[in-house]
Amino acid sequence: MASPSEDTIIELRNVSKRYANGTLANDGVSFTIRRGEIHAIVGENGAGKSTVMKMLFGLERPSAGEILLNGRPVMLRSPRDAIAAGIGLVPQHLELVPSFTVAQNVVLGGEPVRRGFIDRQGAAEAVRRTGERFGLVVEPNAIAGSLSVGEQQRVEILKTLYRGAQIVLLDEPSAVLPPQETEALFKALRQLVVAGLTVVLITHKLAEVREVSDRFTVMRAGRVTGHAASRACSPSEIADMIVGRAHTPLQLSRPTLRRTVPLLTVRDLALARRDGSTPLQGVSFEIAAGEILGIAGVEGNGQAPLAALLNGLEAPTSGSASLQGDVITGRGVRGARSRRVAAVPEDRLRDGVAASMSIIDNFIAADYHRAPFSRLGWLDQGVARSKTQQILSEFGVVARSPDAAIGSLSGGNMQKVVLAREVCSGPRLLVASQPTRGVDIGAAQALRRQIVELADRGAAVLLFSADLDELLDLSDRIAVLFRGRIAAHFNARQVRTQELGLYMTGLRHDENAAALLGSPFTTLAEEDAA
Amino acid sequence: MTAIASNDTARLQHQRGIERWQLPLAVVAALVVGFVITAMVSDEPWRAYLALTTGALPDIRWSDAHGWEMRRWVRFGSVIEDAITLTFLGLAVAIPFRARQFSLGADGQMFLSALAAAAVSLYVGGPWFVVLPAAFAAAVLTGFAWGLVPGVLKARFGANEIVTTLMLNLIAVQFYRLVITQVMRDPTAGYLVTPVLPAAALLPGLLPRTNVTAMLFLVPVVVVAAGLLLSRTTIGYEVRTVGVAPAFARQVGMPVGRAVVMSMALGGAFAAFAGLHVSNALLKRLPVDLSPGMGFEGLVVALLARNDPKAVPVAAFLYAYLRTGAQAMERTTDVSREVVLVIQAFIILFIVSERLLPTLVPRKFARWLGRQPKGDA
Repeated sequence: MASPSEDTIIELRNVSKRYANGTLANDGVSFTIRRGEIHAIVGENGAGKSTVMKMLFGLERPSAGEILLNGRPVMLRSPRDAIAAGIGLVPQHLELVPSFTVAQNVVLGGEPVRRGFIDRQGAAEAVRRTGERFGLVVEPNAIAGSLSVGEQQRVEILKTLYRGAQIVLLDEPSAVLPPQETEALFKALRQLVVAGLTVVLITHKLAEVREVSDRFTVMRAGRVTGHAASRACSPSEIADMIVGRAHTPLQLSRPTLRRTVPLLTVRDLALARRDGSTPLQGVSFEIAAGEILGIAGVEGNGQAPLAALLNGLEAPTSGSASLQGDVITGRGVRGARSRRVAAVPEDRLRDGVAASMSIIDNFIAADYHRAPFSRLGWLDQGVARSKTQQILSEFGVVARSPDAAIGSLSGGNMQKVVLAREVCSGPRLLVASQPTRGVDIGAAQALRRQIVELADRGAAVLLFSADLDELLDLSDRIAVLFRGRIAAHFNARQVRTQELGLYMTGLRHDENAAALLGSPFTTLAEEDAA
Repeated sequence: MTAIASNDTARLQHQRGIERWQLPLAVVAALVVGFVITAMVSDEPWRAYLALTTGALPDIRWSDAHGWEMRRWVRFGSVIEDAITLTFLGLAVAIPFRARQFSLGADGQMFLSALAAAAVSLYVGGPWFVVLPAAFAAAVLTGFAWGLVPGVLKARFGANEIVTTLMLNLIAVQFYRLVITQVMRDPTAGYLVTPVLPAAALLPGLLPRTNVTAMLFLVPVVVVAAGLLLSRTTIGYEVRTVGVAPAFARQVGMPVGRAVVMSMALGGAFAAFAGLHVSNALLKRLPVDLSPGMGFEGLVVALLARNDPKAVPVAAFLYAYLRTGAQAMERTTDVSREVVLVIQAFIILFIVSERLLPTLVPRKFARWLGRQPKGDA
């Protein structure tokens, strides 16, 4: 084996990235990519993979640390710098001009010119040559909009190659592709490597890591948690690295008895969209008063639609949810809220707060239309202010004044106000989606304590979290969502993250799983638990 | 981390400092640019510019015969008259804007409200304490209803409010002309116009030889009411929230559609005051050729005031002042009033170029502007 400095093409040394809103997306990330390999970056959503890609393509700049290209530190200030350095990016959502031909799309921004005019034939010829050289066959004169997604993706790859890319970055390239086209893509990627290029791709599909990549790096919560040669690892070993092995208990004591009387009853909840997709199919579960049901799952397996159905943003196609017999689904948000359903939304800045409005205005948003916050259509500003001041100190929110715009607070303090608003509405059911995402450790711990206290006061809590440690610590029971169905049902005291990982990634599936209070827990075969 | 945080705070302070001073800064910058343009087209730029900036003021003179004397009230009167109309129209545009509804319907709402006020004044009759409230009520209800239409079209059917309000303006103006020509025409007048409204329906005048009336006293009341409506009522709160964070409003269960409808209907109610001001104070009768387009000047006023009701009368006065000054400049010098249109355009450009001013103004100066009296950390 050659010395690392010779065959290393990209090296990240202690790279950190903190966004303006305080989110620490990358925390001391270090890894190397070798010349002529296919390197996969694996991890859950929000693990920091995309941020790494963005920094490599000059879309973001590291807050600390350095990026070395061919052994020399580089500053990539913009995509232009990255392209000049031989780095090309194939975005997840393809960005071709649909009415242009393939050749026009490929040369866009770098058109060959002859006598002051764009040389169309020269362009088509150049594109054809590039395609042949790398084994990416696309008809240069075809209209981009008429191509299949896989072909369009090939055009995007051609685009980077035409600009002289030596390193091709692909952001979740298989997410948009049907299986056959995925295979064609992988074949094309291998040909690129044979031609001497380097390929870096993001994925969260375990099978792909082993199928296409030579080596992989695993990221979790902004850090690198492992790397290895792909064929040296079994799928379950990779799954372990993704979900994390070390589990430090948060030490929030929870009663362990199994309850029998449901507060929330969800039966056969299903959602079918007009485009033919079915994000939820026959989901049934129950939550008792004082109980926390955790939902584990890779993002996009039905969590967001489930939350939207329960808080009334969407109506189910069939099935229903009820609180002690009182149906809460299909009655609109206010209908659900008047039956004392509260929700902490996943996208805090979009759905959780009105960033430019004051803390007071954000705090009263759920209950502004009734006493004591308003009477006969008039807001009582005195009550709103004193209540807000009270919760600011109660929830330990660090803010200059209740009149400050909530957008000026840190993520953690903002989330405390969101949770305070929902808790103060006196909910019987709290639907909490990623309540501690992007929040510092201290605030996260305070938020978790508030959620547990709410359950202890007799509310039912449905908790969605990508942080499996959090899920294990807070939940009484855990259900795994996979492709819109419940794939497993566990006692949170008796399951480990590795086992959750098997069901989250679809390697195992409990056909009969439901999460009713009396449902049996999914049992693990011996070789899985080992 | 602290370095980043303090950097953010500095930037925020910078922005806040700029925001409060955006209007005056934009006006000063535009006047400077305007002077450069005037200097290019005029042989006597100083005199022209003096006419523009002071031409709207009354003239104060001393003479042995009469002592101190103030003249040229007519011009200043027209500044106040225009400022009143524009304040109401500015509010009519600003309220829907706060819900992020680009309603351009103030024109149509004003026309129909003026018609309603005139009709009530002519046909109801009676002493002033009967006819005036009746005229106000008719005007406000008409404006509200005509604003409700595009609101419902938007909330129910997703019809773009820019298109619907413009179309409804055409309908309103033609209906107004139809009614004046066919129904309310004064046959003794030599042109198409309603009879003069009865004295009891007219607002009492304040300045001789001008049409400045008691409507002036109503301006602060209506402006404060608009401010309270937005800041103190649940409907105003919904309007503000839907405007800045529609996804959030839906998430917490606000009636988003109702807020959209109400913002546009309430805008219509404010346009009604402008309509009544035109019919029962300025013209005292309604001619068929009442010229449309005032509503769009209301749009400019709302833009200058950044949709803040408190700032609307200031912006309206500024706008009216410049317009009257422009007439004075045109009459007394070699500069045409089009130059003023150019200056007004520059003011608007400077205001809407939100990211231009912060870079133009040095950071230190901005921090000084943004300083709170108490001084925050």
